[in-house]
Amino acid sequence: MKKSTQPCRINFRQNSREALQNNSLRHAMRYATDTFRDKRLNGIQGVPFEEWRQRASDLKISVLENLSGYGDQFAANATRRGAIVHRAVDAAHARELVGDILHDHGAIDVVKAKSMVTEEIHLNKYLDDRGFRVIETDLGEYIVQIAGETPSHILAPALHKTRHQIGKLFCDKLGCDFSDEPHVLTNTARKVLRPEFIKADAGICGANFFVADTGSIVLFTNEGNGRMVTTLPPLLIVVTSIEKALPSIKDLPLFMRLLPRSATGQVLSSYLSIISGDQIPGLPSGSRRLHVILLDNGRSEIADGPHREILKCIRCGACMNVCPVYGTIGGHAYESTYPGPMGVILSTLLNGLERSHPLLDATTLCGACSEVCPVKVPLLKLLYELRERRVEDGYAKSMERFGMLGFGLAANSPFFFETGQALAKALWSLARLLSPVTVNRLPVPTDRTFKRRMS
Amino acid sequence: MINKELIRIFMENASKVAAEPFWVTNLSEMNQILAKILENDTAIYCPNTTELEKSVQLDPKQLVDTFMHATATVEEVVAGIAETGSIVVTSANNRAVQVSLLPARHVAILSASNIFETLDDFFNGIGDTIPSNITFITGPSRTADIELTLTIGVHGPEKLFIILV
Repeated sequence: MKKSTQPCRINFRQNSREALQNNSLRHAMRYATDTFRDKRLNGIQGVPFEEWRQRASDLKISVLENLSGYGDQFAANATRRGAIVHRAVDAAHARELVGDILHDHGAIDVVKAKSMVTEEIHLNKYLDDRGFRVIETDLGEYIVQIAGETPSHILAPALHKTRHQIGKLFCDKLGCDFSDEPHVLTNTARKVLRPEFIKADAGICGANFFVADTGSIVLFTNEGNGRMVTTLPPLLIVVTSIEKALPSIKDLPLFMRLLPRSATGQVLSSYLSIISGDQIPGLPSGSRRLHVILLDNGRSEIADGPHREILKCIRCGACMNVCPVYGTIGGHAYESTYPGPMGVILSTLLNGLERSHPLLDATTLCGACSEVCPVKVPLLKLLYELRERRVEDGYAKSMERFGMLGFGLAANSPFFFETGQALAKALWSLARLLSPVTVNRLPVPTDRTFKRRMS
Repeated sequence: MINKELIRIFMENASKVAAEPFWVTNLSEMNQILAKILENDTAIYCPNTTELEKSVQLDPKQLVDTFMHATATVEEVVAGIAETGSIVVTSANNRAVQVSLLPARHVAILSASNIFETLDDFFNGIGDTIPSNITFITGPSRTADIELTLTIGVHGPEKLFIILV
């Protein structure tokens, strides 16, 4: 497991306590996760979903078994088509590569399409510090950016904000008249961002997949900003991670069917761009240069380890939308790029137990996530394994360890067990006085224990 | 040979994603529909390179020769996918894929013989050297980023018309 680069431990308990006090957040999260869940259910009706997800899972496993091979094949084919492919070992390396490419091309104004990998490497702050002017162009990301916040959902980054808050934000930051009509606000963003696309020196985006046999980058989008970013500026930098490989362009239909349905219930997103190489007609500024950065950031190590199946994840968000924990507290409490069940696992593996182990409490172990995953990531099993790992590595709280040890002893002996029951009953009122919040959540010990009823 | 069942499925699925499909049997019908759809447009861009595009008859006063500030684009697209109701544009033959993106209204002319039944059919026929940009367009530009309220027409077109010929 990777040594922690951000040793400051995530204060998940405190964060979730705060989230629980925030009624408007809870309301928004409940509504959003319910909506996404229903849309997904509608989307997978009448299609052989089980057969598709098994095929997708098998295919992604084969990719994980040959990550470097597919990376090499992609690099060779993309290079043949005129792209320049870079490998980044970690976040700092990837950030520097992006900064240096922009600098070498004399680019200042940069438009970005939504990309979780660039969130993972904290690219925007780095580029700001180096003096580039970076604008997020996905509507949700744009809202979050001008509010100075971070995304709360990987599909709908501004999920935590109400239309009223967004209306006020636009009013304050863009100087437009107040409106809380989504259509009016969307139109404002269209008008503000259109000239930015046209004048931008460079575009930066992520990729949902990259294709080894054609050297292509694949991008699913709905708004059209992804198409703008990839076809208007004279320089395009794609930042993606090594596990997003597909062996062949012929594998794409399967994932075209699975990803949008699992994410938003759509048969297909409004736009799907397949970009192969650097030449693209129609540019006002001549031909486009294409750079692709393949980020490792600990993934090769994960792919060789016991938890590698998390790398099958295609970032649809379905596991978050069914997670009772995520649906209650939202994404920010996780203090990680990737929230929800897949996020707990990936963050723990990417950032190390030292920083991320409190996230392993963010589960009820109900297993709903495993059931919806379109590539059959065994999320529940991975959560169990990492929680075991946490105990083995000594990150579990001593109270929890001694408690479990004590329970183990008592449960093995009828005498100790009954003594424990009697003690719990006798001391209950005292315990309630000392720690009412915790104790009131527990069932009250009874006189008529199971054993007594049976004898 | 035109497969009417395929056309029916394509039109049904395109309608489901808020595209507006029409099916015409001859070029004069096509031009009647174009005139109606584009009645109020003042700056229409048409690449005018394919046979079908050359058959487009519009008031010359409405036409412009760049797409950057056009209000509408009329162009022939290379394929339709019945399974998803999508149309496909590519950069092959030096075509600009941005023409279907910047103007607020996109009118796609699709030869009915270019409809594929499934996504796999399209990719199986794609050949070894693929164009530098292939874009599937499935309905108009949309977002649900504000309180998950569906809003049509963000950065891309708010209207997508498909005329099957």
